Amino acid sequence: MLEASHLTLRHDGLTLLDDLSLTAACGELTLIIGPNGAGKSTLLSLLSGLRMPASGQIRLCGHDPYRLGARELARLRAVVEQAPGWQPGFSAAELVMMGGYLPAGRQADWRDAMRLMRCDALAERRLETLSGGERQRVHLARALLQLLCSDATQRLLLLDEPTAALDFGLADALMAQLRELAQTHRIGIVAVVHDLNLAGRHADRILLMKNGCGAAFGTPSEVMRKERLEAIYGVRLAELISQDEQLRAFVPLSGTDERD
Amino acid sequence: MRLFTLVLLLSVAIALTAGAALVLAPGSHPSVGLALFVSPTEVERQLLWQLRLPRQVLSFFAGALLASAGGAIQARFRNSLAEPGLIGISGGAALSAALALQFGLPVTWVSLLAFAGGLGALGLTCLISRQSVDNDRLILAGIAVNAIFGSLLTLLITTLPDGSLRTITFWLMGSFANADWPQARLFLLAAPWLVWLLFREWRLLNLLQLGPETAFHQGFDPRRGGARVVLFAAMAVALVVSHCGMVGFIGLMAPHLARQLVGSHARRLQIAAPLIGGWLALLADWLAQSLLYPAELPVGVITSLAGAPFFLWLLRQSGRRSRHA
Repeated sequence: MLEASHLTLRHDGLTLLDDLSLTAACGELTLIIGPNGAGKSTLLSLLSGLRMPASGQIRLCGHDPYRLGARELARLRAVVEQAPGWQPGFSAAELVMMGGYLPAGRQADWRDAMRLMRCDALAERRLETLSGGERQRVHLARALLQLLCSDATQRLLLLDEPTAALDFGLADALMAQLRELAQTHRIGIVAVVHDLNLAGRHADRILLMKNGCGAAFGTPSEVMRKERLEAIYGVRLAELISQDEQLRAFVPLSGTDERD
Repeated sequence: MRLFTLVLLLSVAIALTAGAALVLAPGSHPSVGLALFVSPTEVERQLLWQLRLPRQVLSFFAGALLASAGGAIQARFRNSLAEPGLIGISGGAALSAALALQFGLPVTWVSLLAFAGGLGALGLTCLISRQSVDNDRLILAGIAVNAIFGSLLTLLITTLPDGSLRTITFWLMGSFANADWPQARLFLLAAPWLVWLLFREWRLLNLLQLGPETAFHQGFDPRRGGARVVLFAAMAVALVVSHCGMVGFIGLMAPHLARQLVGSHARRLQIAAPLIGGWLALLADWLAQSLLYPAELPVGVITSLAGAPFFLWLLRQSGRRSRHA
């Protein structure tokens, strides 16, 4: 449903993205990882149709997103930015309802979106009384409502660091929820995350980026190689494997930073 | 919400009758005003219908327009300290009015030119900010345009004959004293329409408060939609300035009071703010006529006296919020 090929973006003489390709399918959770400044959020802004690449092509559900108006784009994809804006004086339910502002062909209940994002208990609370993590969930419910209201057969959810404001328990639970959501509602989800172990555990596919380039793309077992991650992040890693070899985790070894 | 609207409409009715009571004496009880409506003498009836009511209608709708524009501008720029005057409209309208007076044009022309000047100033503001509707650039350009027009206005005032000086003071300080039925009729027709135009943008205004990117992601065009909101607000403010002069701070205060009562949701705010704005303008006009009776203060003096400390209080509140964020 999403095909991005050979994307290049330059700004002020700097190459932000260089010949980057990515595909994402309906019902799958695709996670983008990479060190700071790798171009993950920039890539997401291109995929969302907010910015245009200097070269390369994006096909979103068979359409060129840059030829679509904001209204048509909103039927196909929803986005939650890294630090989505909010204003005091709105209730959480009012924020979620904003996801249903555009009549896109299908009736959906904002309560369902809040339930799916497990934030329905916050509905009556004012935004200024919520924690950063709670607000993030409410924004996720808003974006989800936007897709639930859409009559498009293929829909994409783009998330920029949805776990940034969450503790590791909640972050893990959210990722599991997102994967389940992708499968049950046949929504393609592409998200930027920083936690390698979270990505390894929940992603259907991973794009590993460095300096605006795609360093690796594939299933977690194909991408998450210790030597590759050490080279990309410039840090020595210890790889921990559970006894049944079902779980793997990478731990940076402090004091051995090779980045400098 | 229904109860709130009812209470507010009731208070507007009381304010209207209180204003009507001024026909007899300043500070009269509102019930006196009510009695005037019920059984007036012929003189009272003339005073009421020819002087009082047009003035009440004009001041209420002028306040409503300023508040409606203020609420929309604050949402558009995501800045609770924003005020319609910030984007140059008031300065442009006042300068045009002064120019019209300089050339000895009749009052109708002065109003028309002030309206055109207000919209022209907005155009200039957009031109200086290079057609950008980005928050900071547009507000900075508005401040620059206001400064330019302000200094030109001062220059012009020094060359005006004595007779016109009094009239220009009216533009600078705001007044509803020249109200008549043609003006009131214009406001009766135009003000509800402009308030409605801004109200029907409530979805966009809500999303713009989350940021232009979010509005775009939700399927709205923040550039065109934002420009539309600014244009409607400019038309509202220009209409007020062209007939009543510069009545400051109502566009700032009314949306804030409304926000305290009904929250930030634009569907409620764009109804509550005009009602409160109208009520504030009536109250300010009543004070302007009563405080130094039989002399009358310009209404802008009253709104500025109340508005400036209100602005400082808001500034303090927003400073606190950003420290705790």
